[in-house]
Amino acid sequence: MAVTHITDKMKRVDAYEKARGEAKYLCDFHLPGMLYARMVRSTIPRGNILSINLPELPDGYYFISAKDIPEGGKNALHMIAEDYRCFADGDVKFIGETIGILVGSDRGVLYELEKMVEVTYEELPAVTTIDDALEKKAIISGEDNIMCKLECEMGENVDEVLSKADSIIEETFETGYQEHVHLETNSVACAYEDGKFVIYASAQCPFYIRTSIACTMGIKSDDIIVRQMTTGGAFGGKEHFPDVIAGPLIVACNKIRKPIFMIFDREEDMEFSVKRHPSRTVFRTGLDKDGNILGTDIKIYYNVGAYLTSSYVVLQRGVFHSTGVYRFPGARAWGFGVATNCFPTCAFRGFGAPQTLYAIEMHLDHIARKFGYDPAEYKKKYFLKQGEETITQGHIVEKVMLEEMMKQITDASDYYRKVKEYAIGSGKGIGISFYNHGGAFTGNGEQAIIKAKLKLKKEGEKVSILCGSTEMGQGFRSIMRKIVSDTVGIDIDNVFYDNPDTSKVVDSGPTAASRSTMVVGFLCEKAAKEMKERWNEGDFEVIKQYEHPEGHPWDQTTFRGDAYLGYGWGACVVEVEVDKLTKEVTTKGIWSSHDIGRPIDELIVHGQVNGGIIQSLGYAALEKLECKDGRFKQRSISSYIIPTSMDFPHQEYFFVDNPYPWGPYGAKGMGELVFNGADSAYMGAVERAIGRDTFKIPMPPEDIQGVVDRK
Amino acid sequence: MVNTCYIPKTLEEALVLRKEKKAVPLAGGTDLMVAYKRGVGITPIFPFPVMIVTHLDELKGIRVEEDGTVVIGALTTSVEIARDERVPYFVRMAASKMGAVSLRNTATIGGNIGNSSPKGDLPQPLILLDATVVLQSIDKKREMTVDEFIIKAKKNRLNDDEIITEIRIPKPDYTYGYFRKIGTRKANAISKLTLSAIMKVESGVIKDFRASSGAAGPKVARSREVEKLLIGKLVFDLPSLVEDFVDAWDGVISPHAMPEFRRATTKNMLRYFLLECAKLPKSGIIE
Repeated sequence: MAVTHITDKMKRVDAYEKARGEAKYLCDFHLPGMLYARMVRSTIPRGNILSINLPELPDGYYFISAKDIPEGGKNALHMIAEDYRCFADGDVKFIGETIGILVGSDRGVLYELEKMVEVTYEELPAVTTIDDALEKKAIISGEDNIMCKLECEMGENVDEVLSKADSIIEETFETGYQEHVHLETNSVACAYEDGKFVIYASAQCPFYIRTSIACTMGIKSDDIIVRQMTTGGAFGGKEHFPDVIAGPLIVACNKIRKPIFMIFDREEDMEFSVKRHPSRTVFRTGLDKDGNILGTDIKIYYNVGAYLTSSYVVLQRGVFHSTGVYRFPGARAWGFGVATNCFPTCAFRGFGAPQTLYAIEMHLDHIARKFGYDPAEYKKKYFLKQGEETITQGHIVEKVMLEEMMKQITDASDYYRKVKEYAIGSGKGIGISFYNHGGAFTGNGEQAIIKAKLKLKKEGEKVSILCGSTEMGQGFRSIMRKIVSDTVGIDIDNVFYDNPDTSKVVDSGPTAASRSTMVVGFLCEKAAKEMKERWNEGDFEVIKQYEHPEGHPWDQTTFRGDAYLGYGWGACVVEVEVDKLTKEVTTKGIWSSHDIGRPIDELIVHGQVNGGIIQSLGYAALEKLECKDGRFKQRSISSYIIPTSMDFPHQEYFFVDNPYPWGPYGAKGMGELVFNGADSAYMGAVERAIGRDTFKIPMPPEDIQGVVDRK
Repeated sequence: MVNTCYIPKTLEEALVLRKEKKAVPLAGGTDLMVAYKRGVGITPIFPFPVMIVTHLDELKGIRVEEDGTVVIGALTTSVEIARDERVPYFVRMAASKMGAVSLRNTATIGGNIGNSSPKGDLPQPLILLDATVVLQSIDKKREMTVDEFIIKAKKNRLNDDEIITEIRIPKPDYTYGYFRKIGTRKANAISKLTLSAIMKVESGVIKDFRASSGAAGPKVARSREVEKLLIGKLVFDLPSLVEDFVDAWDGVISPHAMPEFRRATTKNMLRYFLLECAKLPKSGIIE
């Protein structure tokens, strides 16, 4: 019998089946009598629906829309708010909004029928950019198009600080949309089995779907079963968006009572699914005569699109991370969620933090260079330390090891030699960034909202892990089995974890917020410890529920207190060369160090570091997604450019050992952290190479040319 | 809607089908299958009859004629072209940078020319080298330069009874050469901009100069008129001629999207190549 220990590097248990193409995704399944569905979507950003003219539908074909929602139901998907309509009804709020679905047995017929549906509109003025919305070109939400907002401050009064500063630097940074490019496209099926609706979904959060569409149907959550299907690389795009497909499908299934599948094409997935929030961050930073920061006033705008989804929470994270890993004498941040007639934006790895972290890093780079300091040394002066105050007037609970991490990567990259050698504008550059990511839900959300549970079930020598958290390529399935194997002391092959089925598992909360290993893994460790003690009691179950550590106040109405119990911390150096003729950027080296507590599995976390950093570099260098008049311009994987393995070189990576008391075997969250900082290190390097400041990402060669040409 | 699909056994059968049924040849399928796809799990429907020609050996392979002309069968794949040292450098480079490996294994030179996209990888070096395309129908054969063949984006002079059978590349004669593809990323990339140029120098005099710009207008851009500005001039005079020349070349290209980038970068690359040539380095490709 071989126990897998935490210190063993393990091959992911699902690695072979996925690499060999043997893993079955939803589109590989067939159910007897199954039908397909195809969405009919709005083609204008805003307007009233005057008429929907359907072609004659063949026998066995249906058009399902808001009128088919049963009595007692509601034309809403319950995400965080209930504003996202299951079907547009009377009017449309963005291009791609679901008006109805066509259902039938032949996808080719559905494709042709969809082209024949004629929707006539009375077009209304739309706002499709942050500027349009702030200028109130049309009012689409509240009185001022601000769908949600918040404010935080700490330390000295920022207005006073700015009034007595020697100089004030005002800078505005912008980030673009980003598409998840999920491994497999969005796909959901709904069937009616033994008196219950059963949803099969490529999804991160089975229990979210259940709550969301129970609201639409006006039935109890328990009357719906959600079964997660193999899901790869969801990246946040399958946190709430599967609801948008599951809602219409359950309404259709209620009427037709046959299994119905909806599998997006790649182009459909790219054009008509949620994205990362485009952002604008404006700093007004007061400095003394030597360039020391006295205080900063930050205004943050996120384009949330037409519905709220998770945007308010995303915006909060953006605000809470807007001062980065730094403590200034005074700081104030305002966050505004701006409503537009664009496809709603939602969760994406980093969940609002990457936008403001990019901005603060570039801002500090610029100030440092302006006053003749090295960016690394300048930033180091402001590193947060244990016990110090955050922008929410909470405290950093843990030991902060940024200085050690900085030494690891500056040594490995030979940073100090290179910053001397690579003259500004020489075509060669090196940049450095520091970042963090608060683990799990904000404040006391884990206790107040999620109340995660996990169950272990012992049958003979076998142990099953029963929880709602999902494998989506990040290694959860392997990690959980490893925790049980090591803690109980049994062979990992005797530990079972299946894709969750909401009728069989307990709700451990959404697979999001870098919380699964840290929070659910910790419950698993606790349950496994109890199981080990009681091992000889025969067959039994252990259930554990989340307990919030004492002494960490949080007020969700004023956003004051300890926003996060533990942060992951990161530092990254990127070196580049910019081609003088073509402005093509070649990345020469990537060095990172992360504090993720104590790694739960070095091989799996290495995969996360590699992937997260490449995704962040793609965000900075390549992934341009423009929305023109409410429609995305890049709609295929040949026009929306994600990196290949050829685009970035081998990475050197480090960790520091800083065990976290409330995580399994000392582990903290890391899935999002590793996305949060390589972008700004890359842009810092590009800026040094071209000798210009930049103010936005993504920055492909044509935009670098534009910066260089700027007078 | 019914798909009509023929599978001719020989070129002659294919030519008959082409004439009688107006069947469109489908070789690698990397353009047609994408252009007419309808979605996951749905068979593409073509608005014309199709004939699969992938297997016609008569149209495959590379040979060299006595005068050095390289003849490439229309069904030769990008991988085969990229690997064959007899194929001129510029064409090999372009073939090796086309799409991803899987695409290069199946995409053919005939298809790439027939598709006539300004972003297509192969037409740009072929036009530089004055390559010709052989068009065959059941009744006759004609030959014209690739430059004449491609009219504009997605438009060419192929008659509806003709098949592209081979591409003929005259032996290039140059002292210095330059090739650059700026793709959307480092691999599996569509061109944002490409440029090839060659210069023949004898006793310090520019005997021949050619350039071709891809992805910079509705078709690959060449201009013999502008090229003539340099022909007959002394290499040592290039530094004083360069700015007028790059400005003149700027009038040859007509980029629609990203015009500033495409114009500035084309000038940068041409200027670089010419100034490098002015230094009279060892003959060969200038990197």
